[in-house]
Amino acid sequence: MDEEPERAKRWEGGYERTWEVLKEDESGSLKATVEEILFQSKRRRVIESHEQVRLGMMRHLYVVIDCSRSMDDQDLKPNRLTSSLKLLEAFVGEYFDQNPISQVGIITTKNKRAEKLTDLSGNPKKHIDALKKAVDSVCAGEPSLYNSLNLAVQSLKHMPGHTSREILIILSSLTTCDPANIYELIKTLKSLKVRVSVIGLSAEVRVCTVLTRETGGLYHVILDESHFKELLMMHVKPPPASSSSECSLIRMGFPQHTVAAPTDQDAKPSFSMSHLDSSSGPGLSLGGYFCPQCHAKYTELPVECKVCGLTLVSAPHLARSFHHLFPLQAFTENSVEEHQGDRFCQACQGELKDKTIFTCTSCQSVFCMECDLFIHDSLHCCPCCIHSQIGP
Amino acid sequence: MKLNIEGLLVYFPYDYIYPEQYSYMLELKRTLDAKGHGVLEMPSGTGKTISLLSLIVAYQRAFPLEVTKLIYCSRTVPEIEKVVEELRKLMEFYSKQTRESNNFLALALSSRRNLCIHPEILHANIVVYSYHYLLDPKIADLVSKELAKKSVVVFDEAHNIDNVCIDSMSVNITRRTLDHCQNNVDTLHNTIHKIKETDAAKLKEEYRRLVEGLKEANVARETDVYLSNPVLPDEILQEAVPGTIRTAEHFVGFLRRFLEYLKSRLRVQHVIQESAPQFLKDIYDKVCIDRKPLRFCAERLQSLLRTLEITDIADFSAATLISNFATLVSTYSQGFTIIIEPFEDRTPTIANPVLHFSCMDPSIAIKPVFQRFQSVIITSGTLSPLDIYPRILDFHPVTMASFTMTLARTCLCPLIVGRGNDQVALSSKFETREDFAVIRNYGNLLMEMSAIVPDGIVAFFTSYVYMENIVASWYEQGILENIQRNKLIFIETQDAAETSMALEKYQEACENGRGAILLSVARGKVSEGIDFVHHFGRAVIMFGVPYVYTQSRILKARLEYLRDQFQIRENDFLTFDAMRHAAQCVGRAIRGKTDYGLMIFADKRYARADKRGKLPRWIQEHITDGSLNLTVDEAVQLSKHFLRQMAQPFRQEDQLGLSLLTLEQLESEEMLQKIAQVAHQT
Repeated sequence: MDEEPERAKRWEGGYERTWEVLKEDESGSLKATVEEILFQSKRRRVIESHEQVRLGMMRHLYVVIDCSRSMDDQDLKPNRLTSSLKLLEAFVGEYFDQNPISQVGIITTKNKRAEKLTDLSGNPKKHIDALKKAVDSVCAGEPSLYNSLNLAVQSLKHMPGHTSREILIILSSLTTCDPANIYELIKTLKSLKVRVSVIGLSAEVRVCTVLTRETGGLYHVILDESHFKELLMMHVKPPPASSSSECSLIRMGFPQHTVAAPTDQDAKPSFSMSHLDSSSGPGLSLGGYFCPQCHAKYTELPVECKVCGLTLVSAPHLARSFHHLFPLQAFTENSVEEHQGDRFCQACQGELKDKTIFTCTSCQSVFCMECDLFIHDSLHCCPCCIHSQIGP
Repeated sequence: MKLNIEGLLVYFPYDYIYPEQYSYMLELKRTLDAKGHGVLEMPSGTGKTISLLSLIVAYQRAFPLEVTKLIYCSRTVPEIEKVVEELRKLMEFYSKQTRESNNFLALALSSRRNLCIHPEILHANIVVYSYHYLLDPKIADLVSKELAKKSVVVFDEAHNIDNVCIDSMSVNITRRTLDHCQNNVDTLHNTIHKIKETDAAKLKEEYRRLVEGLKEANVARETDVYLSNPVLPDEILQEAVPGTIRTAEHFVGFLRRFLEYLKSRLRVQHVIQESAPQFLKDIYDKVCIDRKPLRFCAERLQSLLRTLEITDIADFSAATLISNFATLVSTYSQGFTIIIEPFEDRTPTIANPVLHFSCMDPSIAIKPVFQRFQSVIITSGTLSPLDIYPRILDFHPVTMASFTMTLARTCLCPLIVGRGNDQVALSSKFETREDFAVIRNYGNLLMEMSAIVPDGIVAFFTSYVYMENIVASWYEQGILENIQRNKLIFIETQDAAETSMALEKYQEACENGRGAILLSVARGKVSEGIDFVHHFGRAVIMFGVPYVYTQSRILKARLEYLRDQFQIRENDFLTFDAMRHAAQCVGRAIRGKTDYGLMIFADKRYARADKRGKLPRWIQEHITDGSLNLTVDEAVQLSKHFLRQMAQPFRQEDQLGLSLLTLEQLESEEMLQKIAQVAHQT
């Protein structure tokens, strides 16, 4: 009947048939279409990320990883578990990059049970190590949504009200084995303002739809590996701070990194507090961050002081988190023809070659696509605005 | 919104409309204009009910003299309730828009406990009730005979209407019925005795009336006041009740004799099949009962019951049944057959004689409806092939149309699985029914599906016996255990209480994420009345082609009749019947445009054009060449892909302009052209 079925052959299903989109221009070059595609994908990201809402700054997130039998499925390569863990490693890195004063914990669920892989902490290395180790674990039995949510809630409910309480579930199985009625638990989650999001690896499960809808989370099902990555990265950005969440003043310490001079005879190498409970890592060192309150030593920031409970951060950390409170306004998009004046980007000073340009709403500076992305994704402030503030 | 349908102002109580609803209303209006009958097929979940109601109500308001009443027939009480709910919405919209209290009166007859006998209900503009009130001659006589001629009759969910017609005209007589009837006759006898002593005048009065004949009824029929009753044939109205049964005692004696004769007929050792004239000849030879008094039997009994002022009519159901049988058998020489079976096929050792007086021609019961009412609309989600209904019901429709579902995303995925992974052909046909390899592959299919389909799966088998065999075999092979790792299993049984319990638990398991499979039977309770919306039915698997049990004598007689009278070949009818049931089963999963579901036909015979072509168009158009004759593995791959696609966010905005229209969009030139293509004229 029809020669070209719309769905590709089954064995090609997993690949994006990008070559079909390509079209040669008059000179037989592909350059134009390739650029067009790249431009489109960049634009999409910009549009997605430019919602103007106040976002939470301190986050407590539990990631629940399904380790049930269905994680052995090989539709993600080499299998679902390995692929998910790899992506999660990247996620953890990115998460702490964007939310330096937030914390993450990891829970695995299999055989109808839930176990903590790592506790809530702000140390990315610890999580990444744990994730790397988990690759070799055996996938067996069914997951239990109830048990994992319950386990996460046990720790989350003690978190202070000005922080966000979140759970992200990576669910591969289509079934869950629960010891009690999960709808009761959903009510509890709702009352505790825990936001539960689910990324499904196989199909839409009803109970997850309800769970996420009730708790205000997101529910997505992956199409393929790249989509999976995209969905995970959506959770890097903090969720909108709800108006009901408390605002409070928090005491924070800003320790300086001090290293005793090797010539100083009095200096003695000491243990870092954060290494006390873990056997790995270097034990004794000379330098470190000393808590301004109790002088406990830490080798890494940010951290909560084990002795006096003070949150220890560095100024750049706070600044990076700060932008979530005051997100930068999206720049307006105009066609380059409409623009009068210099055809140069204010940031990189390059010529404006793309069809569209971006204008800052407050200082009317003009930027190119690349710089617009950089400003919104990394800088989080308009350089021209800052410049005019500092300038004479 | 307010629509303009070929000059008719229609109030539609929603802000958005599906394109197919618009074209459905268009066709409906043309049918009403032509004052003819119509056959309309539109998928479930596309708002058939509200389209029907809003158009016909608008029509009634615009032309109050042309259409006086809407008679809406549905099958079950929940369906009737749904109709009333929609109607209420429509009426609210009317009163809001026109700002005047509406003088519309609607009446729903669902069950005795909701019954109202206020005289005003006779003037109701809309009547909603069950099929039986119109088709079953026993009830129709009580409820429907005063309905005006200028009414529009709608049969919703009418894909089984022929069977309803046949059932309403068929009579089954067992020993129990005869015993009951014997008791009834004794009671009658005693009552007559009593009355004779106290109030002999009453009986005389009745006698006088009977001499004059059933003039009253005749006058009524000639002046076209009543819906004619198929049990009461025209001829007898012109004649007086014959002398042999005119007095009450004689009639009771007559009934006794008839009863004795039936008892003797039930004392058989082998199966007897005979036609009505043969039966009449035999009864004349044996007990000297003539044809004529038999024909008056039903009417005479009614008259007697009235005279004796017996209130408990229900007690006399056995006697009524027998007298109806007497009238029917003597009235219709064609279209009926009498089969006397000494035992049931399944239990040949237990004597349980049954006399089946079986109607083979559905048009007999529905004929008065077509004749009397100016427009009769037959509609359902599955009426394909459309042309067979006018043939078996013997009427001439002015419109026949099948509408598809316009979809913003392809939310149904019909797959025909013809082979196992080991290339063994999958089929439920008789020869391979016991085949181990087929059963194993069926099990494999269900197991694979249970691992990839979320929440609920409904699996249909062709019969209870077949299901029991397969499930037992799966249990032995350990397949059942593997399935249970993924989902819980529930089974429909012939016991209604057990089934509703299983259903309840099934829904609970779907709701809380455990996932469940419901094993049920095509033609069973689940396949007809119960919807599996959203997560309650993400996949429907149809194991085999649900052919009716072809060894039944009643069916054989009917097939023969269809061949002789309507030139419909046996095979065509059987396939049609099987496919409409298959379509019903798989249609359970899709109940709207936001719903999605897999439809898996697990039999290689579905791939053949004669089977596939009989599926409703809205299913057929999604069966591509690539989804025919798949192996289990291939089906699993396609399903996985489909389920992931469907799990992507889908909002109302995505539908707007494509499968959901605002008034402005509807009125655009381009859209009207598109809509014109949606309706598929046959």
